[in-house]
Amino acid sequence: MFDLFLQFLSNTGYFLADYRHYVMIVVGCIFLYLGTAKKYEPLLLVPIGFGILVGNIPFFKGFGIGIYEPNSVLHYLYFGVTSGVYPSIVFLGLGAMTDFSSLLAQPKLMLLGAAAQMGIYFTLLGALFFGFDPKEAASIAIIGGADGPTSIFLTAKLAPHLIGPIAIAAYSYMALIPVIQPPIMLLLTSKKERLIKMPPSRNVSKKELLIFPVAGVLLCCFLAPTALPLLGMLFLGNFLKECGVVNRLANTAQSAIIDTATIFLGFTVGCSTQADVFLTPKALGIFFLGAVAFSIATASGLIFAKIMNLFLKQKINPLLGAAGVSAVPGSAREVHLMGLKEDPTNFLLMHGMACNSSGVIGSAICAGILWSFFI
Amino acid sequence: MIGIENITNNNGWAMAAVGAAIVFMGLVVLTFVISQIHKILKLWEEREKYLDRFKKKAPAVEGDEFEVPIYKECRLPTVDELANTYRPLVEKLKEPFVLSQLFEIASKIDLPHPHLSIQRLQEADILVAQGDGTFTWNNLIGNEGLNNV
Repeated sequence: MFDLFLQFLSNTGYFLADYRHYVMIVVGCIFLYLGTAKKYEPLLLVPIGFGILVGNIPFFKGFGIGIYEPNSVLHYLYFGVTSGVYPSIVFLGLGAMTDFSSLLAQPKLMLLGAAAQMGIYFTLLGALFFGFDPKEAASIAIIGGADGPTSIFLTAKLAPHLIGPIAIAAYSYMALIPVIQPPIMLLLTSKKERLIKMPPSRNVSKKELLIFPVAGVLLCCFLAPTALPLLGMLFLGNFLKECGVVNRLANTAQSAIIDTATIFLGFTVGCSTQADVFLTPKALGIFFLGAVAFSIATASGLIFAKIMNLFLKQKINPLLGAAGVSAVPGSAREVHLMGLKEDPTNFLLMHGMACNSSGVIGSAICAGILWSFFI
Repeated sequence: MIGIENITNNNGWAMAAVGAAIVFMGLVVLTFVISQIHKILKLWEEREKYLDRFKKKAPAVEGDEFEVPIYKECRLPTVDELANTYRPLVEKLKEPFVLSQLFEIASKIDLPHPHLSIQRLQEADILVAQGDGTFTWNNLIGNEGLNNV
């Protein structure tokens, strides 16, 4: 009887755990704390944080329990990540939730979304410089797009063994926008520039909103067909919303479908951070390069906005460049708050959303381009 | 392998440059297209107005082609006719006279193209230069007409 008890004890998590599991459990708890107490991107950090806890409970291998073991329940759920299904579904919901009217009213703001993608390509060079292989480097670089689903999608295609660290890095930096972006904004803009007021946007007609997803999917996907799983779904979702005749579908896409996909995406990505897979020198490198990517993306947008101002009669507030990363709506909100801090009557939220929307499209195109380089 | 060598060996420079150029180009094209959507829609919605304008203009062009007689009306008078018109004016002036006086009288009574007409009379030797800036009327030609010379 005592032997049976000892055998049971030897199979418990307490017995199997080593310090790495505890480190990851602490990381999971930090995510839960940031999501619930600080309300930093709670929709993402809560499922990921809980996933980290679940994924790092030690277990006896060979019983089909862990996420990396074939035929386990978690493995089946994880299939949605590795196949790129969840990111596509999230993009469908995102399209159904996005209002492109601010972008259509001021198309020039789309260029800021393009400029912010430069962070991706600088980081590609940086990752190669530090010795990552090209596919890993491309997967790390896409963190600069500040788009979780896009990062996961590309990593699943190019470097599936890095999904955990890259997803955690991407979502962490998205959650830490209020910490990362403001110092860069303050550093690269003057007070006078931050006080620039944006003119009110013109009214956008229903027809324009209807034509945009059709024109967008045709132009972008003809250019980068590999972005089809993301942009096709994004623009489909947006067309469902704007056409006005399938409200049931649009409502489902922007609520139940995206919520379900987000739960499974966040939870399984969290589970994939098993200590033995996650705590490696490569993961540290990914976190470092992710921070660099995110910072360069923010700086690129700000600098490009200042360059645009050299040629524009109606100046744009360069803070909007920081919203060119596709962290919707976090970066637009941060730009808005920074603008309000300088001048309580300066409302930049809708203009920031225009840059954000453009950033989503831009980072998906970048993912398609990077993937196509390795086909 | 690390460093610049790893970037070069893995074609990193080209991937970064081409990738950045493609995404920028793509979004610039999309920017241009979406900036034109409302203009194209406006054109489409007001197509009747533009078509009407086009339709109205078209017959006017055809009409102009048929109104060739306009050129007939605008034909220049012969030198004889000019001499008959200008002789009474010269008679009012004291010979020799300066051309500006003749021009002034012709303009006052609204004779068409006085400058051109005086030049033609000069070329036909009806108005004869005296060498001191003044002119006289050549009675031989001016009174009887060129056809009689």
